[in-house]
Amino acid sequence: MRTQKIMAVAGATVLAAALAACGGGDGGGSGGGGKTLDVLIGANTQYPEQFAAWQKTISDKFKAQTGATVKFEQFATANDELTKIQTSVVSGTGPDVYAVGTTQTPTAYSTGAFVKMSADDWTKIGGKDTFNPATLGISGPDDNNQVGIPWVSRPFVMAYNTDLLKAAGIDKPATTWDELTQQAKKLTHGDQYGMAIAYKDNYDPWKFVWGMSVQAGNPLVDGKTAKLQDPTVSKAYQTYFGWMTTDKVVDPAAVGWTNPQAVAAFAKGKTGYLLLTTATSANSLNQGAVKGKWAYTLLPTVPPGATSRPAGGVEAASILSGDNLLVADYSKNKDLAFQYVKLVTDPDVQLDYYKQFGSLPANASALQSLASDPTLAAVTEAAKKSVATPFTGAWSDIQLALTNVAVQSLPDLAKGSLSPAQIDARIATAQKTAQSSLDRAK
Amino acid sequence: MATELLARPTETKAERKRRGVTERQRPLWLLTPGGILMVLVILIPLALALWISFIDLDQYTLRRWVEAPFIGLANYSEAFGSGLLRSIWISVSFSVLSTAATVPIGIAAALVTQNKYRGRGLVRAVFLIPYVLPSFVVGTVWKTMLQPDGIVNSLLGQHNTLWLSGGRSYWTLILVEIWAAWPFIYLMSLAALQSVDHEVHEASAVDGVTWWPKLTKVILPYLRGPVLLACLLATLNHINNFTLPFVLFGAPAPDNVNVMPMLVYVTSFQGLRFGLSAAMAVVSLIVILIPLFIYLRAVKLDVHEEGGRR
Repeated sequence: MRTQKIMAVAGATVLAAALAACGGGDGGGSGGGGKTLDVLIGANTQYPEQFAAWQKTISDKFKAQTGATVKFEQFATANDELTKIQTSVVSGTGPDVYAVGTTQTPTAYSTGAFVKMSADDWTKIGGKDTFNPATLGISGPDDNNQVGIPWVSRPFVMAYNTDLLKAAGIDKPATTWDELTQQAKKLTHGDQYGMAIAYKDNYDPWKFVWGMSVQAGNPLVDGKTAKLQDPTVSKAYQTYFGWMTTDKVVDPAAVGWTNPQAVAAFAKGKTGYLLLTTATSANSLNQGAVKGKWAYTLLPTVPPGATSRPAGGVEAASILSGDNLLVADYSKNKDLAFQYVKLVTDPDVQLDYYKQFGSLPANASALQSLASDPTLAAVTEAAKKSVATPFTGAWSDIQLALTNVAVQSLPDLAKGSLSPAQIDARIATAQKTAQSSLDRAK
Repeated sequence: MATELLARPTETKAERKRRGVTERQRPLWLLTPGGILMVLVILIPLALALWISFIDLDQYTLRRWVEAPFIGLANYSEAFGSGLLRSIWISVSFSVLSTAATVPIGIAAALVTQNKYRGRGLVRAVFLIPYVLPSFVVGTVWKTMLQPDGIVNSLLGQHNTLWLSGGRSYWTLILVEIWAAWPFIYLMSLAALQSVDHEVHEASAVDGVTWWPKLTKVILPYLRGPVLLACLLATLNHINNFTLPFVLFGAPAPDNVNVMPMLVYVTSFQGLRFGLSAAMAVVSLIVILIPLFIYLRAVKLDVHEEGGRR
């Protein structure tokens, strides 16, 4: 009997301890000496050690400036971050500052859990005009309701193999999608392919479709109406899949590729164009056979089937891509949070961050200082010509629906035949999802 | 389990009624820590999930989730309208097929390692490798091998056979699941084989039974109970397996492998429709309860039977 009693007491103690531990989680708040600022930031799997060192430097600088310490928390994927946002929103405790990807910002905004920047708040971080104007495009639904403070840009560009283009007699990279297709045909022969595309990537396909549609004058979302069932969208998918099925300018294995695999294929030096990448791929490319024989260039900005942009078409070189900083509404350290934001958007800190990790500064003057670098000219231009995806809480669903069209089309793509009717049927499904999601949007 | 523990002491105590109420209730009191844990870890979240399945909880209402509008069964009707039935069918057929395929493999493997021979320990260890590997690793390795230009296609001499998209993805999922899950049946069968009394082997030897009748008429009946239990547990594991399809196919998954856990995950964490996904999860739970119920009935019979035999 006695042992049972002891067990019972032990059990109760363990239980109580576990409960206490549960409750004591995200305290954050204030430490003994100075305050602690809790910052949630995406893990850098490419350069984990440098990233840890960067955090240390920022932490030291922040301590010197304010006396408070920064505690970094990392998340592995965008979905992890969404989960963290969800739990913080429900419990009203958690990180003070979030680094949120641009396409996730509308979703974060729709929870209403982040500080809407007042004129006063903008002044605290050095003013709105310190930022590259394009990067503010996805900070909020309009100028008076902005939650996202631009931090870094990762605009999308193409990379091309300078040697292969020269050998094919192409003097400059394509600026329209049709021209790109023609060049890719010229570049395809033997074991050499015109383009590397990540058809199986879960994030790439919708960016092409969105880009081509926007250039043709269809922003996909018009107020509360989804405009996926539209000739511009059909044409975009037909072009995108056609490179594989009709033009045959892509390695057939690309039906199974994710973005890193497409980068790796291009790095082997047997492919003319790498269609969608960011400046962060530079290191991988310089380690491959393609070293010294590649350059970045803008994605075409003239929609497929046209030689110039139609009226209403937008010169969208890339989605507005990168990270925003959002300050939590429940934070008790808002002033400290703004000081942190000011620190990491400082030109020198931004340039240092670029040099270490390849993400472009959102700070206008820092970005300008990079424009003179010839290898980066295209990327900085893409940063300026980036266009925001529609600012609606329904966007994550729409993005998923657009990707799903590609995912479900892969078997047909592998067979080499995908009819416009099949594509349109899948677009119709996507339209339904997108519209029902927009109907729910508040 | 709990009822069993509870039942035995009270029965014996019943003879000594005079000892008083407190002593009789003591076992109950001792169960409270466990009981509280069960309530905290299982019952409260379950009740919450049920509640969420009746409210319109999404990204817009999340912040004030207590005030999210009550919409009754609307989430359920939407769930059935948005592919849940298809997902249930995929999940159930996938699980049953996987279990059906792993049972013969598992039993055969157990029989192979039953008798002593040189290197048996090594064979047993090798058989356990798929089971000890984390699902994530299994998924990643198979995903790499099944690429269009991957090792499987080059071994088969085929090019651009798509294993991870379209109709074939369903069979890929079953194949990889079988690969990863058969050692579980093997372990359970092996345990059952080990518990066959030595006398049984001796008796069959004395009677001069040849190996096949001995196997089918003597040994396999001993395996029935444990293997049935293994089947149930394995089927439940297959139905609940999220990691494998997620790692193999990613989200959004091809329609052919949109199993229930994937559907619930995408609805929750990509579509941010927590109410809808809770309704889907509740339906999943009911689906899972069916084999569980059948099993619990079966176990009662089994215990009785075994008791009678001994």
